[in-house]
Amino acid sequence: MASVKLTKVKKVYDNKVVAVHDFDLDIKDKEFVVFVGPSGCGKSTTLRMVAGLEEISDGTIEIDGEVVNDLQPKDRGIAMVFQNYALYPHMTVYDNIAFSLRLQKMPEDQIYERVTNAAEILGITDYLMRKPRALSGGQRQRVAIGRAMVRESKVFLMDEPLSNLDAKLRNQMRAEIILLRQKLNTTFIYVTHDQTEAMTLGDRIVIMKDGYIMQVGTPTEVFERPANLFVAEFIGAPKMNIMKTELLKENGKYYVKPFGVKLPVDGEKGELLAKKNVPAGEILLGARPEHIRLAKPGETSIPVTLEVNEMMGSELHLHVYTEDGTRLIVRVPTIDLTAAERENLVQGHKLNITFEGKVMHFFDEENQTNLIY
Amino acid sequence: MKNETAPAGSLKRHMGLKASNTISNTIIYILLVIMSIVWLIPFICIVLQSFRVESTWQVGYVIPKQWGWKNYIDLWHTDFKKWYLNTLIIALVTAVIQTVIVLCMSYTLSRFRFKLRKPLMQFMLILGMFPGMLTMIILYRVLKDLGLTQANAVPGLILVYVASSGMGYYVSKGFFDTIPKSLDEAARVDGATRAQVLYKIILPLAKPIVIYTILTAFMAPWGDFVFARYISFGTSAGMNVAVGMYNWLNLDQIGQCYTRFCAGGVIVAIPVTILFMCLQKYYVEGVTGGAVKG
Amino acid sequence: MKKYSDLEYLQLSKGKRFLYKLASFFLAIPTFFKNLGLGIGRFFKNLVLSIGREFADIFSTFKNGDWKTKVSYLVMGFGCLARGQILRGLLFLAFEVIFIVYMITTGGYWLGMLPSLGKIGPHEEYSVVHDAYTTVYGDNSFKILLYGVLTLFFIVAFIYTWRANVKQNKIAEQILKSGKKLRSGKDDLRSMVDDNFHKTLLALPLTGILLFTVMPIVFMILVAFTNYDGAHDGFNNALFQWVGLDNFRTMLSWSGSGVNYSATFGEILSWTLIWAFFATFTNYFLGMFVAMMINKKGIHLKKVWRTVLVMTIAIPQFISLLYVSKMFSLNGIINGLLIDLKLISPSNAIDFLGNNAHSGLLPRIMVIIINIWIGIPYLMLIATGILMNIPADLYESSKIDGASGWKQFTKITLPYMLFITGPYLLTSFTSNMNNFNVIYLLTGGAPTNAAASGAAGSVGYTDLLITWLFKITTGAESKYYLASVVGILVFIVVAVISLIVYNVLPSVKNEEDFQ
Repeated sequence: MASVKLTKVKKVYDNKVVAVHDFDLDIKDKEFVVFVGPSGCGKSTTLRMVAGLEEISDGTIEIDGEVVNDLQPKDRGIAMVFQNYALYPHMTVYDNIAFSLRLQKMPEDQIYERVTNAAEILGITDYLMRKPRALSGGQRQRVAIGRAMVRESKVFLMDEPLSNLDAKLRNQMRAEIILLRQKLNTTFIYVTHDQTEAMTLGDRIVIMKDGYIMQVGTPTEVFERPANLFVAEFIGAPKMNIMKTELLKENGKYYVKPFGVKLPVDGEKGELLAKKNVPAGEILLGARPEHIRLAKPGETSIPVTLEVNEMMGSELHLHVYTEDGTRLIVRVPTIDLTAAERENLVQGHKLNITFEGKVMHFFDEENQTNLIY
Repeated sequence: MKNETAPAGSLKRHMGLKASNTISNTIIYILLVIMSIVWLIPFICIVLQSFRVESTWQVGYVIPKQWGWKNYIDLWHTDFKKWYLNTLIIALVTAVIQTVIVLCMSYTLSRFRFKLRKPLMQFMLILGMFPGMLTMIILYRVLKDLGLTQANAVPGLILVYVASSGMGYYVSKGFFDTIPKSLDEAARVDGATRAQVLYKIILPLAKPIVIYTILTAFMAPWGDFVFARYISFGTSAGMNVAVGMYNWLNLDQIGQCYTRFCAGGVIVAIPVTILFMCLQKYYVEGVTGGAVKG
Repeated sequence: MKKYSDLEYLQLSKGKRFLYKLASFFLAIPTFFKNLGLGIGRFFKNLVLSIGREFADIFSTFKNGDWKTKVSYLVMGFGCLARGQILRGLLFLAFEVIFIVYMITTGGYWLGMLPSLGKIGPHEEYSVVHDAYTTVYGDNSFKILLYGVLTLFFIVAFIYTWRANVKQNKIAEQILKSGKKLRSGKDDLRSMVDDNFHKTLLALPLTGILLFTVMPIVFMILVAFTNYDGAHDGFNNALFQWVGLDNFRTMLSWSGSGVNYSATFGEILSWTLIWAFFATFTNYFLGMFVAMMINKKGIHLKKVWRTVLVMTIAIPQFISLLYVSKMFSLNGIINGLLIDLKLISPSNAIDFLGNNAHSGLLPRIMVIIINIWIGIPYLMLIATGILMNIPADLYESSKIDGASGWKQFTKITLPYMLFITGPYLLTSFTSNMNNFNVIYLLTGGAPTNAAASGAAGSVGYTDLLITWLFKITTGAESKYYLASVVGILVFIVVAVISLIVYNVLPSVKNEEDFQ
């Protein structure tokens, strides 16, 4: 069992700056958890506390049921992949990977087996005698992973491992990490600032901001049921559109009035609003760009003017603004439009957009929490 | 997840991160204090001894029994003031000229790629393998013929110091190598000649290394013994402080001059040290930056 | 011998790997020498070829050039003048005139006397005026050697300028033929601050080096082949002559007349090497150690510690060294302290550095120790700068892998430091070999080694080759020729060591590893 449990973990620096507040998390054995958030949110600090590279100011961290607060990193049963790979420049790839095993005084033939196995899985067998300087970024990344792999540790920590790679390589490595996870079958804690990585890799995602946990949940949960405005805007690209709206309640049914246009909140969302008895008033209304569509003639719709039209290939990202100047983004699949219609989409073109109740998100105007969930 | 508390056994494993850290830190502090004392002792002794007036020869104790300014006053009556003036003039003039020469050399070798560049650097490397003293003999003869020795040692010494100072380009060149060449290129696209690039763009950026070069060029003559000894060749009026004071500690003179030496040492050391401490950060930058990037 | 593939090599045990590497090393030696020989051969072949090409070019330029070019072969600068490049033409012409005048008036004389270094020395002649024998001075060997060499240099410079003159003509013809304009004097002046700025900048420094370093060294090398000393100073006492390799034979022979030079040389050389080795490496490792101590996380007042140590760099060395040497003398402070602490009796004062020591061992050790005091602050500065540049995540990663502090030092810190400071270590070693100040000011070379003192007075156990050189030249007999020989031998030792180290240093081989 290699569970990781963080209880009320806090990190305060000498100058009284609090980097991490009251972090509580239960990570199950063999779970892949991703810490994600903007720069400075405390995700790397938390990871380093788990690793033992930072002292824990308050709270406890347990690995496999054992409190590890006072243990040296090497005794915690962890392995770590660093953002800058941290390969020893004067040693060959083989020696780099074998380093920790040699420190454990493992016999050489056993080392040879483990290293060559790892090398084969990662596809770096041909580079075993090379020095890091002679490798590309992606290859160095694999060596760094290999070095962590051979220790066969309980918990695998990764600190923004893909940040230094170019976009294409990043996509490729993401897939390889998923495959690696299946082969290794250990607990993973992965830190990144990229929400795409978080969504594709994680069993569960921990979204952090300014040292606080904003939400913990599966990718689906954080996408469909964001706990607050921050999570709603952080997950998903382009960002969710947020509009200041009036929430109306008439005869037990709810309506929203974005930009003066009254739209019904029907379906499941309407029922949830009713169940929670959410009062009418000013709220923040959220709708993702992919969920807003061009209104068919005759539908209740919001009039907007087109500012920029980004051709993404399979879809168009339309940057529009409403009469009162609010900017929105609408994603429209290219095949939904005829060629003539597409040609009309120039700056200044007037459009009508609308969206259904099932895609709406409701947030309290003051504390920005989700009103229904 | 089960909420288990840590078994007591895990504490047996290690002394914890904090405790072992404190012990090693304490040991280090003790070592550092001892080192600081050891390093400063000779200077403390010199200062103390310079105030000793009950005797002028060397003794086995440090704290004077009688304090006074006598030794400093004595300095005034010897040729010390001539030596000091000599060394000061040499240091000032050398500082300026040597800096110019070294910067010319190192800038050129850093920025320009001309055919003879590599052979030139290797040649100077080989030249440096000859002991410098070897050139003294003939230089002395030549300077003597020119009348630049003994009483006129000061211009002679200056000439010797600055003429071959170009060979000390290593550190400055290392520094210039770190300034991106794209700055030069941008300036040239804007229409500057190479000369203008040097004094409009590069020199303002090179302040640390210029100060470093001036500082080291200024400090060197105060401590030079061999060359000054050779060129002054026994004439007191032409000596620098190093040669002059060396004679005070000779077996025949040390009886009278030991404390005087200490006083002289203090007077020589103080201004140089103060200057150094003020410009310390440039010195450090020069040493750590240029000296080892190479 | 079988050559292993990567995977097979990795499977070998440690012992077998070592043997394999050893065998490969020895097998590579013949190839090394073969390549060396080929390289040397190629160098000479290229040299001969390029000389040949120059001659061919000179010849063809003459043949294919117009009449202006042909006249320039005799009257330098004529071509330039004729083609409108007044400035250049005048400069070339002036140079030729100066050269010819010089050679006719004085140059020829010096050159002619060079093989003999003077025929008529100082001698007694009966002077009618004084009605007594007075000393009449004849040739001056020193001046002959000096000016003779200068003349040779001048001749070389002339040949080079003449060649440039010829090339100028060829280039000018080509430019004119292609229809472009030649550079005027104004263009040339402007280029001095632009394209040719490097030449402008280098002019003064290089002249200084040429006159004050290259010339003296060439001169001193030549002196090694003469018998120039106090008794044969070339003018006042007697002329000096060429003696060929005699001096070298004396220096390196087993038994000379009275003085066993080679033994002395050997002794001093071995001490010089030992001294340089210890001086360099003790300072290096201790300086690194101190830097690491001060740099450690959790140590406060870092600036204070560093400042205290750095202060000692500022104080002129002669003050520190002279004073410290007095501190350790028989009636100095250290002995005084030991007597006060009742550790030794007043009559048994320890002569740390001095002339009364029985063997050279204590002074030698003391010198090394005091040198540590001098050198650590400097090395600490350098080490601190480098330590701060080692990426922190290397240490963190090794911490997770389970490396102890010592392992981190040997596997990360040390390789990194050695790589960056490799070249510095080499120059430090060679400059310690020539570290005059520390030895001379501390001990003056004492204690005296009677057997070695034949060449100069009071040569001692702590003398380096360089202080020996100094004593030879300032000693009673002023055997300059001997000093030159020692200087040349020092150069050879330093050059050989440098060559070997450069080819073996990992820094040079694995330069890219640390980028």
